[in-house]
Amino acid sequence: MNNLQKKTSKPMLAETQPQIATLALTNLSLTLTDKTILQHVSLSLAASGITCLIGPSGAGKSSLLRCLNLLQKAWSGQIEIQQQDIRQWPAGEDALRRFIVLIAQKPAVFPVSIAENVIFGLSRKQRKTNQDVRIKTCLQQAALWDEVKYRLDEPAKNLSVGQQQRLCLARALALQPKILLLDEPTASLDPRSKQLIEASLKTLALTMPVLCVTHDLEQAQRLSEKIIFMCDGKVIETADSVTFFQQPLKLESREFLRWSSCDCD
Amino acid sequence: MKILLWFLALPALLLPAFALLYIVYQALPALDWSLFVGTQDTKLHFGANQALWQQISGSLLMMLLACALASPIAMSIALFHQLLAGPRQKLFIHALLQVLQGIPPIVYGLCGLVLLVHLLHWGISLAAGAVILAIIILPLLSSNTIHALERIPDEQTESALALGLTPFQLLIRVWLPNAWSSMLTGLLLSMARALSETAPILFTATVFSGVVWPDSIFSPVTSLQTHIFYLAQEGYNQHAIDVAWASAVVLLGLVLSFSLCAFFLRRFEDH
Repeated sequence: MNNLQKKTSKPMLAETQPQIATLALTNLSLTLTDKTILQHVSLSLAASGITCLIGPSGAGKSSLLRCLNLLQKAWSGQIEIQQQDIRQWPAGEDALRRFIVLIAQKPAVFPVSIAENVIFGLSRKQRKTNQDVRIKTCLQQAALWDEVKYRLDEPAKNLSVGQQQRLCLARALALQPKILLLDEPTASLDPRSKQLIEASLKTLALTMPVLCVTHDLEQAQRLSEKIIFMCDGKVIETADSVTFFQQPLKLESREFLRWSSCDCD
Repeated sequence: MKILLWFLALPALLLPAFALLYIVYQALPALDWSLFVGTQDTKLHFGANQALWQQISGSLLMMLLACALASPIAMSIALFHQLLAGPRQKLFIHALLQVLQGIPPIVYGLCGLVLLVHLLHWGISLAAGAVILAIIILPLLSSNTIHALERIPDEQTESALALGLTPFQLLIRVWLPNAWSSMLTGLLLSMARALSETAPILFTATVFSGVVWPDSIFSPVTSLQTHIFYLAQEGYNQHAIDVAWASAVVLLGLVLSFSLCAFFLRRFEDH
């Protein structure tokens, strides 16, 4: 692993052209133990760019992300990726989860080295192919390479929380996903880590759709082209970022923006 | 208040120590190397003069077989609990394991005698004893395995699944590396429990003498527990009583070694 930095940074992940994915939800509903979590949610994602999902706690934002990669399966309605129903995903739900990867709010690194964490989700065969280049490229994309390049064999738990979150991003990118789902990726991170993750996301969003749940409205303004506002399990308003923050159409949106601490100008 | 608490706690601390010292003191007359390997004169003898390695190996053999039978079943129960069971099924599994742990071992022994020894014609045998011991330790082993898997942070399981790992890969690559020490602790405690049981194997597996090493799994075995049980009844024979105490020390040593290993492993895990 130590000779990694000597190797060329050949764009390993670009060996196959990114397959642009479009995601469409129709009438998605979720009820868990008699509690309605999502109600008739319909939305679609552009082929690239960042969409931020905002709303008060308990609005169903995280549950929506879990439905999208089938970590939550008890929903009704339809979710389609490239006009393919995800419940009938040809290669099965494990393959779907590599296609549409979810990064959780709390970084969870596995008790192995930093390098092994990056390639953790890959098959045995994939792990053996161009391993060093793959690790380097993913860590670079997650803006972590410079900080860890001399200690790739160290346990990942030695990293700070911000670095662990970026490691989780690198681990997800190693799967070459076509859609990225992020559940409050920068909550409880220091400003520097937040800045680095946001920069990485902006670059990644050039080639794939990124759906990001956030409570940080300033971040939503900085990052996204499109805002989806949810409340009580329903999509209240979908608008481009500038319009939403300057002239929200719905009363609930206006109330939410008024009560949040963010300066929306 | 402090003195009162010390006064109440003292018996609990001192009694086991006194009991242990008393057992060792009683065993001292018979505790020597020849007790374990026999002497030229006693090698062909049975009962109190039998070399103790036969009883030790019988007990250990039965314990290992029981653990080998119970472990995959306990693991399956734990995996079902973690991967497939809903809240109601989880509640049912916990309740069932609690109830099974509360059943007196002699009842299991009786069931083994009727079903395995007589109905299935296995006879008094190593197989019957191992199966009954496996059933006895199964609730404890399952509970410990479930507990070991439950201690794995949910975030790790969710992250592994979100990366597209199959349930089998999740088990091999995330759960086992995280939970092996807790599982091993559970196994060691179950081994200690299997070694402690006497009544069930008296009914189903062991004989006092006449066996050195079982010919097959359908042959009877000797065990430390049975040895102590029969020798203790020979009150007129001081040598037999001394050997019974010595056997008790050996049994205690084995059980304690498994329990202490489990204790230190748990401490290692907590740190």
